[in-house]
Amino acid sequence: MECVVQGIIETQHVEALEILLQGLCGVQRERLRVHELTLKSVPNLGVVSSEVRLLCDLDQQPEPTWTVKHVGGAMRGAGADQISVMVRTMIESKVSKNALRMFYSLGYKLDHELLKVGFAFHFQRAAQISVSVSSVNKMPKIHAIDEAVPVTPGMQIVVVTAPATPENYGEVAAAVSSFCEFLAPLVHLSKPFISTGVVPTAAAAAASLMSDGGGTTL
Amino acid sequence: METTTQQPQGQPPPVAEKLNPELVQLLNLESVKTRADSLFKAISRILEDFDAYGRTNTSPKWQDILGQYSMVNLELFNIVEEVKKVSKAFVVLPKNVNAENAQILPVMLSSKLLPEMEADDNVKREQLLQGVQNLPVPMQIEKLKERINLIAFACESAEKVLADTRKAYGFGARQGPSMLPTMDKGQVAKIQEQESMLRAAVNDGAGTRLPPDQRQITTALPPHLVDVLFVNDAGKNALPVAANNINSQGNTMQAQFMGRSAASPSNANFDTARSPLPYSNSPQSAGMLNAPSPQQQQQQLQQQQRSKLMQLPQHQQQLLAQQQQLRQSSMQALGQSQMPSLHDLQAQQKFQSLHGQQHQMPYSQSMGHQQYQARQLSGGHIQHGMSQGQLNPAMNRHLNQFSGGANSAMFTSAQGSPSSQMLPNMSSMQSQTLNPRMQQYGVSGTNAQRGHASQMLGDQMFNNSGMMQTQQSQQPQQQQQQQQQQQQGGYGNMQTNQQNLQPNMLQNPQQRHQNPQ
Repeated sequence: MECVVQGIIETQHVEALEILLQGLCGVQRERLRVHELTLKSVPNLGVVSSEVRLLCDLDQQPEPTWTVKHVGGAMRGAGADQISVMVRTMIESKVSKNALRMFYSLGYKLDHELLKVGFAFHFQRAAQISVSVSSVNKMPKIHAIDEAVPVTPGMQIVVVTAPATPENYGEVAAAVSSFCEFLAPLVHLSKPFISTGVVPTAAAAAASLMSDGGGTTL
Repeated sequence: METTTQQPQGQPPPVAEKLNPELVQLLNLESVKTRADSLFKAISRILEDFDAYGRTNTSPKWQDILGQYSMVNLELFNIVEEVKKVSKAFVVLPKNVNAENAQILPVMLSSKLLPEMEADDNVKREQLLQGVQNLPVPMQIEKLKERINLIAFACESAEKVLADTRKAYGFGARQGPSMLPTMDKGQVAKIQEQESMLRAAVNDGAGTRLPPDQRQITTALPPHLVDVLFVNDAGKNALPVAANNINSQGNTMQAQFMGRSAASPSNANFDTARSPLPYSNSPQSAGMLNAPSPQQQQQQLQQQQRSKLMQLPQHQQQLLAQQQQLRQSSMQALGQSQMPSLHDLQAQQKFQSLHGQQHQMPYSQSMGHQQYQARQLSGGHIQHGMSQGQLNPAMNRHLNQFSGGANSAMFTSAQGSPSSQMLPNMSSMQSQTLNPRMQQYGVSGTNAQRGHASQMLGDQMFNNSGMMQTQQSQQPQQQQQQQQQQQQGGYGNMQTNQQNLQPNMLQNPQQRHQNPQ
C-alpha cells in the first residue's frame, strides 16, 4: 500500500526544487535513471488483464537492479475523498534479472516502456517518504534507451510517495500531505489522475532559491 | 633566606598589559627569585651529601637528614604562600610544578609560536601584504585602508540590492506578494495540455506505445537487457512481441516454436491462426547471420531439440524412457524400480518397431505430469537424448512438442490435435472390443483410488497383453503408434477423456509410491 501524490514542474525550476528538497530532506540526492517496462497480461489469462511493472535501475553498480511492482486500484469512497493523497495498493519487490523472461513466458506482453531520468530523495519524516523529480522519456524504437526523447520537454513530473499499511495509512497520508505543503511555492501536488497546473509564482520562488544570499566575496 | 622584605597587600591590582609597577612591588619578584635561588642551593647541597654517603658507604644520621629536609620544606612553603597571595589577579596554569610539568614549562613559557602556527601566520601575512610588501610601511597602511574601504562599499551595495528585491517581491511584508503574475490563457492552455500528456504517460503509458509494426527489436539492446532477452541459436529473439489484437495472443509462443520448426512437416499440428515468423524478418538475421538453408535449419532444429532433450531434468527423461518401455511391453511390472529386467528385453525384441529406435530405460516412478501423458497419447517415439537413433520427421514433430517446455497453451493444442487425428484411426483399426476397453480404462482411471493400485494395474497389464497379441500382425507405422498409444492407454492414463487428466495426475504419484516394495 502506498500514499502517493504527483505534480508537475517546469524544467527551468527543477534546480530550485532540488535546492529546496536538499534543505528539507537533509539527505544526499540520488540520481534516478530507471527503465520502466509495463507488462500486460493477455485477456484470456484472467478476467481482466493484469498489469505489472518492471523497473530496472540503470544507475546501480555493478549490475543494474530490477524491481517488480504491481500497482493496484486506489481507495475510493467518502473517506478517500477527504484524504488529500491517493492511497492505493502497491506491491514492490526486488527481483533478479530473469524476471522479464519469466513474465514473458507467463504470457505477459510488453505494453509500453518509459525511461525516467532525474533525481530522488529518500528520507524519514514521520514516514519513509521518497520524492522523485524526473523527466519522462519515451523510446521511438523498442528498448532503444539511447534514443529516448522526453514526452514533454519543458515539464517534469514530481512524485512523492510513502509506503503504508492498512493500519497506519492515515498517519502516513498526513505526513505526506504536510511535507507537500513545504513544496507549495514551487509545485502543486495532487492525486495522480487530477490535473493541477503549475504554480504561478514558481518563478519567483525559484529565483529566491537560486540566489546566493550575499555570501559571495568580491 | 629568612628575610621577608615586605608583606604583600591583599587586594589584587588591575590587570594591565605590562605589569603594574605596584604589582611588581607586590609580587616582589626580585625577592622571590632570590629565595628560590637559595632554596635551590640548599637542596643541591643536600643531594651532594647524599651522594657522598652513597659513595663512602657510610650511613647518615637520621635526625640530621630529617632536620635538613624540614628546613627545605618550610622554605618552599613560605615562597609558595607569598606567590599565592598575589596570584589572585592571574590565572596560573599549571598550578603546581612537579615532575610532570617541569619538562614542558619552558616551552609553555616561551612566546614563540609553534612551527605550524608560525607557517600559517606567515602565509596569511603574505596574502595580505601581497602587493605592498616592498613599499615603506606607512604606504602599506594606506593601501590596506583603501582595500578595506572598497570591501565595505561592496557589502553596502549588496545589501541595498537585497532590500530592493525584497520589496519588489513582497517577501518582507506579511501579506505576501501584492501583485500576482498572471499567465495569459494561451499559456495556461498549453501548460494544461502538456500536463495531461505527462500525467497520462506516467500513469497509463499513453503516448508511449509503439504501433505493432514497430515492435520488432531492430536496434542493439541496452546492456541491462542484453542478457535478459536471450537469443537462441537460430538467431531468433525469444521476445514475444506484444500483439494488440487479442486473437493472436495465444499463438505467440506457438509462433516461436513454429518458427523453429518451419521446415518440418508438422505444422499441421499447431494452430495456424498466425503464420510462423518468417526467418528473414528476425532482426538478428538481418544483419548478423546468414539465413541457413531449410535443410540446415532443420538439422539445426533437430540438434537443438536433441540438446534440449539432453538438458531436461532427469525425471522427465525417465518419464520418456518409461513411456517407451510401456509401449514395448506392458509386462514390466510396476513393482520394479529402476532396473530393466531381462523380461523387458524380450518383450522389447518381440515388439521391435520398424524404426528400431526404442531404447531400454530405467523405469521411473515419478510420473505425474500431465503433459507427458499428452505426449503418450499422441504416440510416436520420444527418444532419449543419450542413446540416439535417427530422427525421422515424425519424431521431429513430437520433439517439437516436447521442447516447448511447460507451455500449457501449446500442449493443450498439441494434445488436442493429434488425439483427434488418432482417435478416428484407432476406432477404425481396432476391433470393437478395444474401444470399450479403453473407456473402461478411463473409468477405472478415475476410480483408481478405490481399488488397490497394483491390482488395477495388473488388470490393465493383462488386458494390454491381450491387446498386444491382437495387434501384433499390424505392421504399418501408423498402427504401431496407435498400438503403443493403446498400451499406454491401458496403463490407465487415457487422455481422451479430459476429465481424467486431473484425477490421473493425482493418482499416478500414488500408484508409483505404492509400487516399490
